[in-house]
Amino acid sequence: MTSVRPPVLEAEGLTKRFGGQLALDEVSIRIQAGEIRGLVGENGAGKSTLIKVLAGMYRPDAGRISVDGTPLTRTGPSPQLAFVHQDLGIADELTVAENIAFTVGFPRRGGLIDWSQVWELASSTYAKMDLDPPPPKLPAGRLSAADKALLGIVRAISRDARLAVLDEPTASLPAPEVAYLLAALRKLRESGTAILYVTHRLPELFAVADSVTILRSGRRVSDGPMSDYDVDSLVEHMLGRRTRERISAGTPPVPGRVVVTVEGLQPAGGQPVDFEIRHGEILGLVGLRGAGQDQIGRAMTGAVPTLAGTLHVDGAGFRPSDDLRARMAKGVVLLPADRQRESTGPGMSVQENLFPGPRNRSGSLINSSAERTAATALLNRYDVRPRRPEMPIDQLSGGNQQKVCVARLLSRPQKLVVLEEPTAGVDVGAKADIHDLVRDAAASGVAVLVVSSDLEEVAALCTRALIVRAGAVVDEATGHDLTEERLTVLAASSAPAGPPNPAPEGQS
Amino acid sequence: MMAATTQSDTALAPPDASKRERGGLGGQLVQRLGLLLAFVVVLAVFTALRPDSFLSTGNVQNLLTTQTVTLLLAFAVMVPLATGEFDMSVGYHVGLAQVLIIGLQQNDHVNWIVAAALIIVLGAVIGLFNGILVAKFGISSFIATLGSGMLLFGVTNWFTGGQQIVGSNLPEVFTNISSPVFGVPIPALVAVVLAIVLYVYFERTVAGRSLFFVGSSRRAAELTGINVRRTVILAFVVSGVLTAVAGVLLGAILLTGTASVGPEYQLPAFAGAMLGATSIKPGRVNVIGTLLATLTLAFLFSGVQQIGAPFYVQYFFNGGILICAVGLSIFAAKRHRERARS
Repeated sequence: MTSVRPPVLEAEGLTKRFGGQLALDEVSIRIQAGEIRGLVGENGAGKSTLIKVLAGMYRPDAGRISVDGTPLTRTGPSPQLAFVHQDLGIADELTVAENIAFTVGFPRRGGLIDWSQVWELASSTYAKMDLDPPPPKLPAGRLSAADKALLGIVRAISRDARLAVLDEPTASLPAPEVAYLLAALRKLRESGTAILYVTHRLPELFAVADSVTILRSGRRVSDGPMSDYDVDSLVEHMLGRRTRERISAGTPPVPGRVVVTVEGLQPAGGQPVDFEIRHGEILGLVGLRGAGQDQIGRAMTGAVPTLAGTLHVDGAGFRPSDDLRARMAKGVVLLPADRQRESTGPGMSVQENLFPGPRNRSGSLINSSAERTAATALLNRYDVRPRRPEMPIDQLSGGNQQKVCVARLLSRPQKLVVLEEPTAGVDVGAKADIHDLVRDAAASGVAVLVVSSDLEEVAALCTRALIVRAGAVVDEATGHDLTEERLTVLAASSAPAGPPNPAPEGQS
Repeated sequence: MMAATTQSDTALAPPDASKRERGGLGGQLVQRLGLLLAFVVVLAVFTALRPDSFLSTGNVQNLLTTQTVTLLLAFAVMVPLATGEFDMSVGYHVGLAQVLIIGLQQNDHVNWIVAAALIIVLGAVIGLFNGILVAKFGISSFIATLGSGMLLFGVTNWFTGGQQIVGSNLPEVFTNISSPVFGVPIPALVAVVLAIVLYVYFERTVAGRSLFFVGSSRRAAELTGINVRRTVILAFVVSGVLTAVAGVLLGAILLTGTASVGPEYQLPAFAGAMLGATSIKPGRVNVIGTLLATLTLAFLFSGVQQIGAPFYVQYFFNGGILICAVGLSIFAAKRHRERARS
């Protein structure tokens, strides 16, 4: 690695500002040929911004980038850098070879596609990287998840890319396939390709990466060979010292009676899980992306099918056949994470979004003036700004939209609310407001389940948290253990860190 | 990961929203009342050009009578459109209903009220069929209703055997339907009553609001507890009933049953509903907008005819208006989104 050749990628002093906020603060990174470099940092640390600057999607305010010693001058994408996103952009119905040919270009003869060359191209593209090619005529949708991810990577670097930037390539892979993909990446490295490997799964870095760069609040806080780190020190660098002292802000939970019992509940694609929520408790459910925590919350509320198991809420029992509306009618509701697509009706007014469902009427007709009054009252109570019920909801800021959604849920009597990413894309003030509303609801006896990837939020808001890996509940954090730091370690581990608490054994 | 940093939308949030809107208030008003304005302009221009004939009782009564059918069909496409679904079968369906109301009386000596009731029930069944194809089997509404429309066209031709059915011994009560009462044609009165019912349905009932929520975001509607499937099916049933009523009225106006009548109503119906969606409540189909749009188009076309345009101009009109109306509503929606983002 200590060659005289210039590094494949050399970025120096990259700075990017959004409004008054520094998203990148003089970040430098240098990657050699045949090196796999890990890039880690908590959400919002600047990883996405760095990738987008490298990809030419953002123009940096300061700093320079060179590839193989040649400075990048244009702002557009450089063909020497390949970017593979989580959403691979592979057409499932088309064959492996066609998927490759759409990127590399279709071989032609006399202006028409030369199909025998197309099949050949697929095999030779894999072979160049010392990888075993899948059958070129196989529809891409029939590949295993890892092979599909690999196809995305192979395709991206097939046009002589010097560096591949992989954004969480294993996030949606089952454990055995992760090992397969990592093995393939090591082969790629031997063929001289450099890789920038972005992940939240820290143990993977120790399996595959040569070195790591750690970002925090837009700054490069540490980098060096993997052998200089262990999981704990990575996390410490990622979070800084700030979470050390902070214990869960919630009052120490006085264990109330059990309100929610989940028994053997198995969402489609997940493991059976068991847990309880007690009166006044705000339970967090955390895990890495794709670990299956969101499916558990969705299965409880009927938003996704349940394969087996039961849910008891305050005496009322639910079977897998009870659908979303049946559960809603008994006070079991979901606040979906995706406001734009799953939670609000864009183009509809705030008032209509507050009262979309069938239970907001007196008699059979909607009384518009009474509804307006009710809407205004809710806007006041939940501090939604501006207080204009007739305004289209998509003209509100993210925080205010979320308050409308929270108001829709919490202004009615509920038994169990499942909140997905309750403060994603919400400003600090609104975040605190929403947390207060959630605490009030819990105090009034509503069972609250918070499914969030914002571990700082879980540590601050929840009274207890369960850790989900591979669809199973594998650990629990309470009291002094309920810190962002501890949750990060627990969620990122690939093997159970402690005694699996209330969970059944079942994950690999 | 890429979506991790979306805090930016809050930093630019609108405490100054009121300021922005004050600036655009004039523009908003023009957009809201644009159709009304257009209608008044059309009336004024052609009254000036043809002072004797344009607003004559005969012409107005004639327009109100014949345009009732277009208006009801515009309503019929508007209801599924609120949920984001197309009904391409209304043209063929109105043709069938029209042939049936004449044929059942003329050939099968069915009492006209019984015949009308049968046709309306059949209309509901046809709507149910469309709705099930779309909501239950997930067939694209455009394709499903295009197919069912062609099926209906087949039934119509089967029923008539390709012949025109001349209503020579229809009861006077039926033939009088198209005549005016106190100067207002009865079909127009029927249309007004149905417009009021639809208005209440859209604006004041939970079922009506569900239509729009489904149209705005199907997934969000589902997760807020709206029965999406039932909402969509109901929309098609309402559409079928409205189309059947339009067919009965069309029969009473024409007094003959012809299989080829009907399909030419499809595009004007869409033009009315879509142009209507650009005004009153911009971006949303609405009863008053559709009413104004249909009237404006009717009077505009009549006026153009009166100043000597040939008959085929109507096709340019309907095609052009459809494209312009949809273009306008996309433009309005885009501006709306941009305003929301800035």
